[in-house]
Parts: sequence; C-alpha cells; structure tokens
Amino acid sequence: MTETTTKTTTKTSSLDRLAIPLIIVGALLTTTAFVLAFTLAPLVMGAEVDTPALIGGKMVANKLLLSQKIFYFHMPVAVTSFVALLFTAIYGVLFLAKRERRYDLNAKVATEVALVFILMTMVSGELWTRYEWGVWWVWEPRLTTYFILMLLIIGYFILRGAIDDAERRATYASVFGIIAFIDVPICFLITRMVPSSVHPVIFRTDSGLPPPMLIPLLIALFGMFCIAFGLYRTRLREQRLRERLTALKESLED
Amino acid sequence: MAANPSQATRAEAPSTGRPSTLAQYRTLLAKDLRQEFRTREMLTSMGIYALLVLVVFGAALAQSARGFDILQVSGGLIWALIVFTSLLGLNRSFSHEKEEGSLEGILLVPLDRSVIFLSKATSNLLFLAVVEIITLPLFYFFFLTGETPSSTFWMTVGPLAVGTIGITGIGTLLATITMNTRGKDVLLAVLFIPLTYPLLYACTAATTVAVLGGDIGGAYVPALALAAGYDVVMLLVSWLLYDYVVSA
Repeated sequence: MTETTTKTTTKTSSLDRLAIPLIIVGALLTTTAFVLAFTLAPLVMGAEVDTPALIGGKMVANKLLLSQKIFYFHMPVAVTSFVALLFTAIYGVLFLAKRERRYDLNAKVATEVALVFILMTMVSGELWTRYEWGVWWVWEPRLTTYFILMLLIIGYFILRGAIDDAERRATYASVFGIIAFIDVPICFLITRMVPSSVHPVIFRTDSGLPPPMLIPLLIALFGMFCIAFGLYRTRLREQRLRERLTALKESLED
Repeated sequence: MAANPSQATRAEAPSTGRPSTLAQYRTLLAKDLRQEFRTREMLTSMGIYALLVLVVFGAALAQSARGFDILQVSGGLIWALIVFTSLLGLNRSFSHEKEEGSLEGILLVPLDRSVIFLSKATSNLLFLAVVEIITLPLFYFFFLTGETPSSTFWMTVGPLAVGTIGITGIGTLLATITMNTRGKDVLLAVLFIPLTYPLLYACTAATTVAVLGGDIGGAYVPALALAAGYDVVMLLVSWLLYDYVVSA
C-alpha cells in the first residue's frame, strides 16, 4: 500500500514539474498566435456568410471585418473546453469501471478546467455578439447548445456539492458527467445540422481556411491545450496535497 | 423497447426457478400502479399543478393585444406545461420508495437493476400520459377554442409521444440521483431542464409546425427525428448507467 502511494507521488511529480512550464509555453504560443492573427492572417476570408442574413433584427453581410479576429481566441478556447469535457466523461467511465477515487478527482479537476474555458468562450462570444449584432443574446442554435452545456457543467458542481458521502458523490458525478457529455457532440455538430450563419464549419476535408488563417489558429489551439493541461496538472497536484494534508492532520489528532 | 436485450441475457441464464425478467417488470409496475390507484397521489397533485400552470398562462397572456396569435406560441406553452408538471411528478416518484424503505427491499431481490429503471420509467410515463390526456384538452378549451388550428393539428400526437417518453426516461434516472441529495427538488430541476433542452426544443418545433400547418416534410419530420434520436441515445445511456446509480 505504502509502496504504491510513493510510486504514484513520484510518477505524478515528474508530470507536475511540467505543469508550470507548459502554462508559460501555452501563454507564449497563444500570444504569438494573436499577433499573427493581426499580421499574417488576411482580414476576412474563411468566415464569410454566403448570403446576407437577418440575425437578431440586424443584417449581417460579408463585413465581419476586424471583429472576426476574436475567432482566433474564441474557437480554440471552445475546442479546448470540449476536449476537457471528453476527459470528464472518460474518467467517469473509468471510475464506474474500476471504483478508484483518483479517477473521480481527475474527472472533477477536468470539469473545473472545462468550466474555465467554457466561461472564456461565453465571454468572448458575448463581446462579439454585442459588438457585431448590437444585442447581448440571440437564441441561435450554437449559442443555445453551448449555453446549455455551461448550465450542465454548473449543475455538475451543484450536484457534487449536494452529496456528503464521497463514494456516492463520485458515482453520481461520474454518471452525470457522462450524460452531460452527450451535449458536446450535439453542440459540435449543430452547425452542420442547422446551418448557422455565423459559425462556419471549420473541421472539414475541403479546408475552409487558407494557410495564413489556419496557422495562427492551430498555434492558438495548441497553446490553449498546453494551458489547459498545465492548469489541470497544477490543480490536480493542489487537490492531492490538500487530501494528504487532511489525512496527516487526522492522523496527528489521533 | 430496451427490455429485449436484458430479456435475452436472462433467457440464456440457467433456470433456477427465478421469475422471468418480464414477470419482475410486471410485478414492479403493478406495485406502482396499485399504489397510485389506492392513493391517487401523483395524478391529483400533477393534475392540479397542471391546471394551476394553465391559470398562470392565463394571467401571463391576459394583457396580450387583440390581434395576438396564440397559435404561434401554443406549442411552446404546451411544452412548458409538460416540463413543469413532469418535474413535480418525477420528484414524487421516488419519495415513497425512500420514505418507506421499499427501494432497499427491491434492491435485495436478485434482479437486473435495469428492470427497476424500466418499470419506474413506465409508471412515470403512464402517469404523465394520463395527466397530458386530461390537461391538453383543457389547454385547448381555455386558449384555442376561438382559434382555427391547421388540419394537421392531430399530428401534435407525434412530438407529444416522443417527448413524453424521453422526459420520463431521463427524468427517472435523474430522480434516482437527486433522491439522495440535499435540496433534491431544486437539484432535479437544475439537472433536468438543461439535459432535456434538446428534446424540448425539437418537440416544440414539431408541435408548432403541426399546430400552424407548416412544412411537414421539411420541418416536422426532421424535428421529430431529432427528438426520437435524442430519446434513443438518452434512454440507452440511462438504462446502462442505472445500475450504478441505484446501487450507490
């Protein structure tokens, strides 16, 4: 028992040492990507609407000029939140299969990271909506499904907070994490099912983006992944240390 | 529907004189129905609540202008009514089981846990369906008698059936989760409404098309297919995960 615990702590510490450098690398990469977005990427290409469309009572034509630059932040952050939620679901399945507490902790921390990125996506999207459409909110399919996703993740934490028994909390949270993940593919695919005029389909084989736009986007995406993973490892380490501290405190009291 | 796979695995197991899965399912369902028949607790509370929601709708719409077309919003109102009423019923559906410790008794029986899910979901479905059969004519009576809905009005049955099945399936799983938590009534709503949103959206779309008589092939059928697909995914996942939830 003691052997396995020491083993896990040494194994995690090597990954944990990477956490802070990864956050820094991610910050540098995303900054580079945003600079490139203004220098390398052309003004408006891939994100055009096919025909002028009426959204929120306003005509939106092919003039998504400078404000389109938020795309290089908005889209990588959103994709990162999806990936983090994928890990929530995977760790949920692992917990239900193996009944080990650490998977529940992993799932919880992954969901926390996901919530941070979901909030960043919502804020950046809102800024764009307000600037470009002159309204704060529109019940547009992608916006709505993503908003629902945010509510589900907030519900996940409310659920965790409402259960005292650790084993039961872990089980219920795992189950809910798996069910909530069903909304992710819906949100991802909704622009393919219900054509949305502002969210272009990025992932496709006939390449929607020319290289000068694709390069900053991919750098930003990779940078966001680095930041998310760094945050995840840091938070996981903090949680583990906290658990050890409580265990130590309890043993000292005895 | 989803009973077939479990039935198949049961049939392969060596016969030990245990009742079949179908018999277990029937017994559990009969228990819920008998209890309801004796107390009439669920149906009265859900029915009265639905009536009160209609009264609230009446107050909310009382000041609308004379030319206001209620047909445009009636699909949405019907689904708001169903969601709120089902929340009340789902919250209650496990209260007896919990208070009188009967769930522990059921869990002691060597039976497939998904049978519990199916029987509970079926009883919830039946109760909600009965309440809908009573309240939707009342909705028509209160709000739509002065209007002329399209000839496709009968097609609202489709989204109503698909939506009710999905709501009770997801709701039964979530009610089992929230049964053991603090502030369970609020928590059920917090988890249930976002999770059923896609279903709600698709069903409202299909209902509205049916009421207004829009493009059946281009709008009604895709919306209904979307709702049915969501039903299938959600019911399968709930059915698979129910074992973990009810045993925790």
